[in-house]
Amino acid sequence: MDLKNGVFRGKPIYILSVLLLLAVLIFSLLWAVTFGAVELDVGDVYRVILYKTLHIGDAEAHGSGSISDIVWFIRLPRLVLAVGVGAALAVSGVVMQAIVKNPLADPYILGVSSGASLGATVAILFGVGAALGENYVGVMAFLGAFASSLCVMLLANAGGKATSIKLILSGTAVSSICGAASSFILYVVNNSSNAIAAVGRWTMGSLAGAKWETNLWMLIIALGCTLFFLTQQRTLNLMLLGDESAITLGTDLHRWRILYLLVASLLIGFAVFNAGIIGFVGLVVPHVVRMLFGTDHKKLVPISALLGAIFLLWADVACRTLLDRTELPIGILTSMIGAPCFIYLMARKRYGFGGGEN
Amino acid sequence: MKIEAKSVQAALGGVDILKGVDLEAPEGSFVGVIGPNGSGKSTLLKCIYRVLKPTGGGVYLDGQPLSRMKVRQSARSVSVLAQHNYYNFEFGVRDVVLMGRAPYKRAMERDNAEDYRIVDEALETVGMTAFRDRSFSTLSGGEQQRVILARALAQQTPCLILDEPTNHLDIKYQLQLMNIVKNLHRTVISAVHDLNIAALYCDYLYVMKDGAVFASGPPEEILTPALIRAVYEVDCEVERYRATGKLHVIFFPET
Repeated sequence: MDLKNGVFRGKPIYILSVLLLLAVLIFSLLWAVTFGAVELDVGDVYRVILYKTLHIGDAEAHGSGSISDIVWFIRLPRLVLAVGVGAALAVSGVVMQAIVKNPLADPYILGVSSGASLGATVAILFGVGAALGENYVGVMAFLGAFASSLCVMLLANAGGKATSIKLILSGTAVSSICGAASSFILYVVNNSSNAIAAVGRWTMGSLAGAKWETNLWMLIIALGCTLFFLTQQRTLNLMLLGDESAITLGTDLHRWRILYLLVASLLIGFAVFNAGIIGFVGLVVPHVVRMLFGTDHKKLVPISALLGAIFLLWADVACRTLLDRTELPIGILTSMIGAPCFIYLMARKRYGFGGGEN
Repeated sequence: MKIEAKSVQAALGGVDILKGVDLEAPEGSFVGVIGPNGSGKSTLLKCIYRVLKPTGGGVYLDGQPLSRMKVRQSARSVSVLAQHNYYNFEFGVRDVVLMGRAPYKRAMERDNAEDYRIVDEALETVGMTAFRDRSFSTLSGGEQQRVILARALAQQTPCLILDEPTNHLDIKYQLQLMNIVKNLHRTVISAVHDLNIAALYCDYLYVMKDGAVFASGPPEEILTPALIRAVYEVDCEVERYRATGKLHVIFFPET
């Protein structure tokens, strides 16, 4: 196996792989919906879905009632959200790695996660933004995430154009500031351990808050941004070569970098809004795909999106079923699976992570 | 295509590096830029291939000011082979060369059979066809530079800039690379470290010193012990080697 170069690199099987993964995704959705705390008849589950989507079947039995509610308002929305968030994290991971030209970047590298945490902390402890509606914690987290990536971009552009290194450094700085601010608030306020636990839960990620209305937006944004980045495959490839080479190949990366950052921040912000912070998906999935299909973004973007979706979907199923009577926060599980995978990839000498020769 | 630099000035970190440089490379010529470290060779070339913006003066392609062209447009006229080509990510050789087609592509456009033909042809020209499915990072320095040259060839530009591309290469690969470039018969501007290489390949030489052109002319006029003493502060003798008719510089270590 030529892992250096992607096992399947250069072979026309990638379209086939995309179709196959799409089939796996749909199949996974239909299978995963039968897992849950309450034992349901598999036939009933599908009859509910059939009735709800296509209005085929018995309205009395499958249009309402507890089985219908469990399937349609609890299980399926979560799975659909997992698909949207998984795809969003994987694609934004791919894009962030290209933007900062560093294979170790993840979606949260530019301070997005700590910005989101700060937003959520302020919302939970002080009730800031309560006027923003029922899910004001999520909205504040989204605002925090977006504001911190804007800060990073402004910082990196101060005193000359943003380079990938300046972006990473600004990201680290903004991350520290937001992290310190959150810790400070938690330490000083310390009024209720419930609130602190709520912040903690939130930073560990969960798909339990899934609703159809927000799901729809998550899916539209995940799909839209994935398609957008798919059209940008050539520029994304050039980003990995760096600014100088890209200019001699006819592309000034500067404004593209800003545009991609904005789009990726939107994507990450929405994922954070819906599910809190879920680590390692955006780091590991792009690496696995690179290992199999090579570095070309034409393949990297769509396959990462699909693989991220499938991975998070099953991760959520595992979270719901691993422990009795309680649910494991999904961020813990993805880190527990993701980190060893990452170490394994890193330890494999045959897979060049960068930083190798020279 | 003719390349001209007219009183180009450039500053890096507030220090004036180029103090008004004029240079002209006529269609099809092989122009060498020589001079000691820090004389501004690389800075001048960077202004020509647009990685740096001149703070004064300008660069012209067939009389058209470069500053008014889109980078996309100039990348169809000038390709570059620079010294540094290290990537953090794994690329296939063919993928690297295929990027040379980028200046001709719209966002959604696919790479077509014609692009692949051009890529294969470029790999053939540099003698790297056998390596086309290899990973770029597994190649030796000389092989990597030839792949980057193939990428520049895939750009199908009338001009080629060499920014000391042979610096870390063994003599075999230095000569090999320069031979390939010489046989392309394009307009070439090359920064050269090794005066003997300059004597072998260049039609015309510009000598840079302290950010200005110290002298310019054909190698016979430029490569003289007096001038080399004045610019590089070393003693040498210059002889014409009978078999090749080319100049040869022999250096004397200071005692």
